[in-house]
Amino acid sequence: MMNSMSNIEYVKGLIEKGFKVLETDVIDQYQVSFVVKQADVLQVLVTLKNAGWKQMSYLSAIDWPDETKIEMVYILMNWERAVHVQIRSKIDRNDPVMPSIITVYPGAKYYERECHEFFGVKFPGNPDYEKQLILEMWDDMPPLRKDFDPQAYSDRKFTKREYNQDYKILSEDNKLKEKREARKERAQSLKGGPKA
Amino acid sequence: MKQMKLFLGPQHPGMHGNASVHLYVDGDIIKRSFLLPGMLHRGFEKGMERHSWVNNISLIPRVCVVEPDINEMAFAMGTEKLLGLEVPERAHWIRMIILELARLSIHLMAYGGLGGPTGNYTLMYHAHADRNSILDIFEQISGHRVYHQYIVPGGVRKDLPKGIEKDIHAFIDDLESRYEEYRDLGIENPSIVARITDTIMLPADVVWELGVTGIGMRSAVNKPYDIRKVMPYARYDQVEFYAPFADYSDARARIDCKLQEVLQSISIIRQCLIKIPEGPVRVPLGRGQSMRWTVPKGYVYSPVESSRGEFGYYMVSNGGTNPWRVGVRGASYPQGLLGIEKYMPGTRLDDAALWVDTMGVCSPEIDR
Repeated sequence: MMNSMSNIEYVKGLIEKGFKVLETDVIDQYQVSFVVKQADVLQVLVTLKNAGWKQMSYLSAIDWPDETKIEMVYILMNWERAVHVQIRSKIDRNDPVMPSIITVYPGAKYYERECHEFFGVKFPGNPDYEKQLILEMWDDMPPLRKDFDPQAYSDRKFTKREYNQDYKILSEDNKLKEKREARKERAQSLKGGPKA
Repeated sequence: MKQMKLFLGPQHPGMHGNASVHLYVDGDIIKRSFLLPGMLHRGFEKGMERHSWVNNISLIPRVCVVEPDINEMAFAMGTEKLLGLEVPERAHWIRMIILELARLSIHLMAYGGLGGPTGNYTLMYHAHADRNSILDIFEQISGHRVYHQYIVPGGVRKDLPKGIEKDIHAFIDDLESRYEEYRDLGIENPSIVARITDTIMLPADVVWELGVTGIGMRSAVNKPYDIRKVMPYARYDQVEFYAPFADYSDARARIDCKLQEVLQSISIIRQCLIKIPEGPVRVPLGRGQSMRWTVPKGYVYSPVESSRGEFGYYMVSNGGTNPWRVGVRGASYPQGLLGIEKYMPGTRLDDAALWVDTMGVCSPEIDR
């Protein structure tokens, strides 16, 4: 196995020579990330696969509502060179369409399906991407988007349960109520800390 | 003949976890199959975004029920990478002891799980009894048996209790002395050997197609592709061990690799107990309050070697007190979903549970 820093240089040369890279970040000696344009993603992946990045470790998305963008993430692994490569690309959030990569990495099939379910990204080229996978009969917006509020969803969807608030103090020595009050106060005081 | 639909799981002695495999069988040959996940979906990735970094320490071990420590390690390492934090030397060694004990416990559980689909429950009872001893050790170290919340960003929660070395040595000596007995019960047992030899194959091209890692990959490609070896974290570069591999991946080869790893884990624990230095075990994070610290902006993927392969957290911070996005790369995601869809058809119905077992499919990390 070669020196890991020279492996980073190798992959940097490979990508930066062939494509317009918007941002490069060397995270540590085993990991490097590139931000590329959406149109280049498939070609970058093909280049990396031919260079030995045979395994796709992870595919997902990140929601950036302030920029109205969804950022796609592909993490590839080369076991010979011991480098994880992150490929990231921002796509439009209102109509997120990303060509499927299953022709390059067949293992992406279910990752894309999951990504569609949780972020609403469309993957033309993947035959099954619209089928439901994990969320059964989901009837709301894709849940990992930032504007989805699980609390509000649950309040809307399910009836509130009523809990019995009364409790008896059986013996005089029982300081449960005082303890509870003290704990509640302490929790409140912690909440009011200065904002970061 | 007409095809019939059968369900393997969620309640089946050979199925681990709450997932169901839908099988279309013709006679006793599986013609079509797919996994139905979602019975265990608890919204972890959304939950992590809604909680602060420190709150997440108690949330993440729940991602994988039987092997919680790898979650803690991946989360802690990712946070430390984002913070640019250096962990005390002693904490690295304590982490390795914890991780290898956890690896022993999950390998025992998985190996004992072989008893379910083959009907050899003795193996399962033995393995679970030994796993219980590991949980006792964990209870002494961290106060918890299953979800330890022990490996935290910045080190480990507290130092090892006095005299724990004696207990660990006693346990691993005992386990090692009965290693041959375990082999006889499972992998050398004629009734099981007939079920696992030359069946449930995982060729190397399928490994690369699906993205299978861990024992499944190593037993097929004949290379020691282990994260601990290839990109060592903690202090795995300072201990001597090997990652078992093979060039013919039938179910038996995979189980054999798993058993060899048990011996390697025992050896790593012994070396750690010798090499562990004295010193502090945790550094303060030093950004903001103790409970509301912030993490600088960044994207990081932090992989660890779990018992089933490469397990990683993809962590994104926007500089706030909560993570912006945490994605979990479950080690058994490729073989659990695409593998069952594409490569389970063709096997016999009675091997379906063994297929799921020896490929190491763990439903909690598929659902998250």
